[in-house]
Amino acid sequence: MNRYLARLAILALGAVGLSACSSLGAGEYGYSSYALVRVHRVNVGDQSLSVVPPRPWNRHRSFLWSDVRDVEDWTLNGPYLDGISFVSGLKSGAYLIRQSKRADQQVPKFRSDMTPPEIVAMLETLYRVKGGAVDFRTRSLQPRPFLGTNGFQLDYEHLDSDELWRRGRAVGAVINGQLYLILYDAARSHYYAAALPDFESIVGSAQLRR
Amino acid sequence: MRTWGLALALSACLPTSACVQTRQFADVQFTPPQGDYRLLVLRPDVSVGSLTTGGMVEPRADWTDQARANIIAALQAQQGQRGGKLQILERRNQLTGASEQEVADFERLFYAVGNSIVIHKYSGDYLPTKRGKGLEYTLGEDAVRLGQKTGYDYALFLHAEDSVASGGRIALGVLGLAGCIVGFCAPNIGGASQLDYAGLVDLKTGEVVWFNVVQAGSQVPGIAFGDLRTPAGATQMVDRLLNRMKPGLAVRRAAEKS
Amino acid sequence: MCGRCAALSRRSLLVGGGVAAASFGTGLAQARILPQEMVPLVGAGFKPTDKDEQGIWQLMDRAEEEISGSNLLIQDPQLTGYLRDLIGHVGGPAAKDFRIYLAHIPDFNAMMFPTGFAVVFSGLLLRMRNEAQLAGVIAHESGHFLRRHMIRSWRDQRRKTDIFSIAAMAAGVGGAAGGVYLGDYVQLAQLGTILSLFQYSRTMEAEADAMGAKLIAQAGYAPIEMANIWQQLIGEEDASARYRRKRRRRGSLFDTHPSSQSRMIDLRADAADVTEPGRAYETGRERYLSKIAGIRPTLLDDQVKLNDPGATQYLIETLAQDGWNGLLRFYEGEVWRLRNRNGDDVRAGQSYAAAVAYPDAPADAWRWHGITLMKAGRTAEAKTALTRYLTMKPDASDAAWVRQTIG
Repeated sequence: MNRYLARLAILALGAVGLSACSSLGAGEYGYSSYALVRVHRVNVGDQSLSVVPPRPWNRHRSFLWSDVRDVEDWTLNGPYLDGISFVSGLKSGAYLIRQSKRADQQVPKFRSDMTPPEIVAMLETLYRVKGGAVDFRTRSLQPRPFLGTNGFQLDYEHLDSDELWRRGRAVGAVINGQLYLILYDAARSHYYAAALPDFESIVGSAQLRR
Repeated sequence: MRTWGLALALSACLPTSACVQTRQFADVQFTPPQGDYRLLVLRPDVSVGSLTTGGMVEPRADWTDQARANIIAALQAQQGQRGGKLQILERRNQLTGASEQEVADFERLFYAVGNSIVIHKYSGDYLPTKRGKGLEYTLGEDAVRLGQKTGYDYALFLHAEDSVASGGRIALGVLGLAGCIVGFCAPNIGGASQLDYAGLVDLKTGEVVWFNVVQAGSQVPGIAFGDLRTPAGATQMVDRLLNRMKPGLAVRRAAEKS
Repeated sequence: MCGRCAALSRRSLLVGGGVAAASFGTGLAQARILPQEMVPLVGAGFKPTDKDEQGIWQLMDRAEEEISGSNLLIQDPQLTGYLRDLIGHVGGPAAKDFRIYLAHIPDFNAMMFPTGFAVVFSGLLLRMRNEAQLAGVIAHESGHFLRRHMIRSWRDQRRKTDIFSIAAMAAGVGGAAGGVYLGDYVQLAQLGTILSLFQYSRTMEAEADAMGAKLIAQAGYAPIEMANIWQQLIGEEDASARYRRKRRRRGSLFDTHPSSQSRMIDLRADAADVTEPGRAYETGRERYLSKIAGIRPTLLDDQVKLNDPGATQYLIETLAQDGWNGLLRFYEGEVWRLRNRNGDDVRAGQSYAAAVAYPDAPADAWRWHGITLMKAGRTAEAKTALTRYLTMKPDASDAAWVRQTIG
C-alpha cells in the first residue's frame, strides 16, 4: 500500500512540477472535452434521434449551461478541420446556439413553418454571425428523403476568417413541427472528401426514436 | 528514499527556476530523414522583441534580422550534417513550380492542422480516437501535388519567438506574463518567453510526420538561455527542435527487437 | 453546433478582446484642433531611423505581405483602381507611394499603416453616400500616417505600461480567438487583430479629422461631408441599439463614446475653416454611385445576412433617399424575413411583392415572393412567381428544390 501511495505521490508531484513549468504537460491524460463514440447505435442531441457511425468518432461533451440540448457536435480531427453536428427535435421558436438577446447581430430562431430555403438562410446567418465566415455560397439545394419524410439536402461552401475554405453538406427535415438536421462541415482541402462517406453512412442509419 | 529523490528532481521544475520543455509527437512509422532528401523550409517566422518593464514586447527589427540569419545558418549547418538539400523560402513567390496562391493555401491548411495538433495533442483537450497513436494528421492530396510540382520530399514549418528582458524589466524583477498586451505576437502559453515549434510534412504522403514544441520559460527575468540573437543561441534552439528528432513508435519498437 | 464558433467569430477578431479599435471610429478632441495647424510630418520616401519604429515597420511589411495575399480581398480592378486614384488624390505628399486594399468584410472600417498601405472594409462602401465621404475617410486615415500617430501612440502606450506594469499585466492578452496561434503573421493577417495594435488618443483622432478635412477641401471635395459621415453613423447605431432595446455602449463594433456628437460639431467647424469662399466644391455623388453599382447587391447581401435589423433597415432607408427600386425593396423584405418576429413574414411578403413590381427586381425577389405566396395558400400565383425565378436563373443552386415544389 505504501509503495502504491508513494508512486501516486510522485505522479502527482510530477504532474504539478511539469505543469508549473508550462502548460505543455497535459498531453493526452486527464479530462478532455471529447468522449469516444463507438461503432454502435447511439442517441444524439435530445436523444430523440439515433445513428450508427461506421468508425469511432469523438463527441464534444456539452456543458449544460452553455450548449443547446438539442444540438450535439462530433469531430474526427478537431473542430478546425472537420465536424458533424446533429440537431434533433429543435422546437419552433428555439435557437441553434445560445446567444444574448441583446446582441447586435443574431442568428434567427427556427420556426416550424420554415421552408428549406429559410432553413438554409438560418444556417447561413449562423456561419456569418457566429462562425466568422466572410463569404458563404450555397452550391445546391435539392429534395432528399430523410427519416421517412420529404427532406432536403444542402451543399455549401464558406470562407472563414482564418482564410481557409470549408465545405459542408446538411440533410434535414421538419417533423411534427421540429427540426431534425445532420450537418457535416470540413476543410475543403482533403478533409471534406475524406469523411463524406462517414456522413452519408450516418445519415443512412438515422432513425427517430419512438 | 529513491522515490523521494525522484520527486525532488521533478519538483525542480517549479516557477522559481528556468526550465526547458520539449515534447515531440511523431507518426508511428516516422524515420527521421536521412541521405539525399530535399527539404523546403516555409517562410520561417522569427521574431525577437524587447520585453519592456511593463510587460509589452517591443519588436526589434535588428534583433529579428540577426535571429533570423542565425536560425537560417543553424538550419543549414544542421541539415548539412544529416545530408540533403535545403531551400529556405523567404517569400511566397520564390518557389519554382508553385504559385503564390498555392503556397498560401498550403500554409493556411498547415496552420489549421498545426493548431489542431497543439490543442489536441499538447494542451490536453485530446481526441479519444487519436489517443496514443502518435501523430495522425495530414495535409492531404494538395500537399502531395505541391511536392510533385516543386520536387521536394519534405516541408518544414518553423516558428521561433523570443523576447529579451530589457534592463528595466530585470531591475523590476516582476513575475508574470511575458505580455503580448496588444496581441500582436502569438500568445505565450504559461508566460514563457520563448515559444518555438516545428512541423515536418512528408510531401510524398501529405502527412504531418513530426511535430515539436519547445517552450523555454523563465519566470525570473535575468535567467538567460537560447538568446536567438547569438549564433550559439540559435544553434541551441535549432538543436532542441530538430536534432533530437526521435523515430516513431513502430520504428523504435522494431529497432529494440532487432 | 459549430465547434469553432467561439474561436473564429469575426466579431471577436475585430474587437480584439475589448481593446478599442484603432479605426475611423474612435476618439474625440477636448478642444478643437485647427486644420490650418495640421502640417504633414512626413513626406515622400520616408523611412524610419529609430529602432522601435524600424521594428514596427518590419512587422508591418510582413503584415502587408499577408494582407496582399489574403483570400479576403476583393480584387475587382475597377474598384481597386478607383480607390487607388482616390488615395493618390487626397493622401497628401506621400500619396504616390501608397497601396490600398479592399477587404470583403461587411463592417464599417478603414485603417492605414505606417508603411503606407491602407485597408478599407467593404462595409464602408455601403455606408458612404458619395465620393467626398469616401475621400474623407481615406484622408482621415492618411492624416494618422502624415502625423506619425502610430509611432507616437506606440510610445505612449509603452510609457504607460512601464509605469503601470501591474495594471498592464492584469489587463492580460486580448483573447482574439480561442486556439493557439502558431504564427504572429497569421494573426496579423487577421485584420481585426491589427486593429488592436494601436489605440489612438482623442487628440490624435481630432488631428486626423482636422487633417482629413483640410486634405479633401484642397482636393475640391465639400468638407462638410466628413461631418455628415458621423451623422449617418450615429443614426445607424441608434437604430441598431433601439431595435435591441438598449443604448449604444462599449463592446459594439464602433466602440462608441459619448463624444461622437461633439466630434461631428467639431468637423462642421473644421469644414467652415477650410472652405475657401467662391470656390466650387463637389460631392462626386453620381460618380461614386456608378462606380459601386456593380458591387452594391453583394454589399447589401452581406449586411442583411448579419441580421442586425435596426442597422440594416436604417441603411436601406438612407439609400432609398435616392429613390426606391426593386433591389432595395427586396432587401427590405430580407430584413423582415431574417428578423422573423411575429408578423414579419407578412411585412416581408409585402416588400417582396413591391420589389417584383420594379424592372430591376433581382431573381431572388421572385423566389421569395413565390415562397410567401405558397405559404399563404395562393398556389397558382406561387407557381407563376417561382417559374419566373427559374427563367431568370435557370442554374440557380436551389433549382432542384424549386422544380419539385412547382410540381
